[in-house]
Amino acid sequence: MILYIFSIMLLIFLAPLMPSFMKMVKMYLLYKKPISIFQGYRDFSKLLSKEIIISKETSAITTIAPFLVLSPLLLTLFFLPPIVRGEYYVSFVDAFTITGLISLSTFFLMLIGLDSASSFGGLGSSREAFISALVEPAMILTLFSVSLMAKDLGIGQDGINLSLHFPSAHIASFIFAGISFFILLIAENGRIPVDNPETHLELTMVHEAMILDLSGFYLLLIESAGSVKFIIFASIFVSLFVPFGLNLPVILAILVFIAKLFILAIIVALLEVNIAKLRLFKVPNLLGIAIVFAFLSLITFYVLGA
Amino acid sequence: MTSFLIGAFLATLISALFTTRLYGLILWYSLNSLSLALLAISIGFKIDDNTMIISGFLTLIVKSIVIPYILKKVSMKFGLARQITPNVPVYYSIMLIPALLVFTFYLAEPITNMMSSNANYVAISISALFLSLLLIIEHKNIAAKIIGFLTIENSLFLLGTTATNGMPMLVELGIFFDLLMAIVIINLLFKSEELS
Repeated sequence: MILYIFSIMLLIFLAPLMPSFMKMVKMYLLYKKPISIFQGYRDFSKLLSKEIIISKETSAITTIAPFLVLSPLLLTLFFLPPIVRGEYYVSFVDAFTITGLISLSTFFLMLIGLDSASSFGGLGSSREAFISALVEPAMILTLFSVSLMAKDLGIGQDGINLSLHFPSAHIASFIFAGISFFILLIAENGRIPVDNPETHLELTMVHEAMILDLSGFYLLLIESAGSVKFIIFASIFVSLFVPFGLNLPVILAILVFIAKLFILAIIVALLEVNIAKLRLFKVPNLLGIAIVFAFLSLITFYVLGA
Repeated sequence: MTSFLIGAFLATLISALFTTRLYGLILWYSLNSLSLALLAISIGFKIDDNTMIISGFLTLIVKSIVIPYILKKVSMKFGLARQITPNVPVYYSIMLIPALLVFTFYLAEPITNMMSSNANYVAISISALFLSLLLIIEHKNIAAKIIGFLTIENSLFLLGTTATNGMPMLVELGIFFDLLMAIVIINLLFKSEELS
């Protein structure tokens, strides 16, 4: 139980670190002077001390919704696959619950965008709905096909089963699911081929457009929700699709897990530097590939057993 | 290993179906041929069949290096449009490709029941055949149609490799020469495309 609480605390602690780490790698690759890796924490403390300004036109939703954006994601952290062998974990939570909690958070984020009645907010919300409607089926299909390979519906149990018996007989469908989930990781977190988190240009904004009106503590909640979402996706990815190092001794297993997270972050950053942002109406092509691969992985598993 | 390479074969084919750039399409074709060649070589070593190893290396050289290189050169020379948009909208493709896969996997079931070994690969190569037909239908551009034709050839090679433990060497060599001739004829086609 102590390990369980420790691992959740670790994930929360790592969450602000990952976006600033990715930004650092990107700036380093672009020959800029890189920002500190602790920039996430600095932003956190800066926003904590800022005052909150709320537009006159908003209803009560703007004051409630930021908490409801963050809380389903924090709840999801409790259901993730274990980091260390022998750790307590929740075994019964399946693909629908995880996807549902993440979509619940996205729903409240879209409400915030609509609430202040600014033109940007509605624009961002409609784009976000457009993307997340395509992400959900692919995510459910992918997680289900991994569950089938691990022979258990619970995501937490899957992490353990996969680390004990790597599905080398089903490697083809395993890799299809991996490709699909990686595309979802990029799309759902608003990384570059889908959305650029660093610009405030009206043509390209998706995530930023919804939160333009927020400030202070509320902005802090939304920003932390973004980083927690990345850590959720990253930790599901590394525990289900790179299922190694769980059986090592405790300290070593945790270090291996953190190393895997950082390697994933480096891969995402490399991808961001090398790829241009897609036009918004090309995004369904990318997510279409994700859906097709998720489906292909299920089909290959069922029909061919490969 | 074999199953991974088969998966890579299908994955590159599906990625080719969603590409909207000509050079990207040629790259996916090259990777498709590469996975096919590695598959043929690995199966050849497994069943200790020299002709299959030779045809695997020929595939590696001809299909994954020479043909994509020639196609790229020729299309650059004639200044073909690099932007190729599929006629079938992506929304329909998302529905169509899984439907096709399910359909062909069940279509191939009587054949796979007859076979003793490698039954899955027959189903995959038949579905790859249908997917490359889709690649031909969904493009108006001549270069993309040619890539579709070449992927049909690839999937037939896959069928031959996995279903029959290798076709006779003479047939394989004949196919390679045919392909090279086809590329020469395609050159002329591109020229007429440029004139029109």
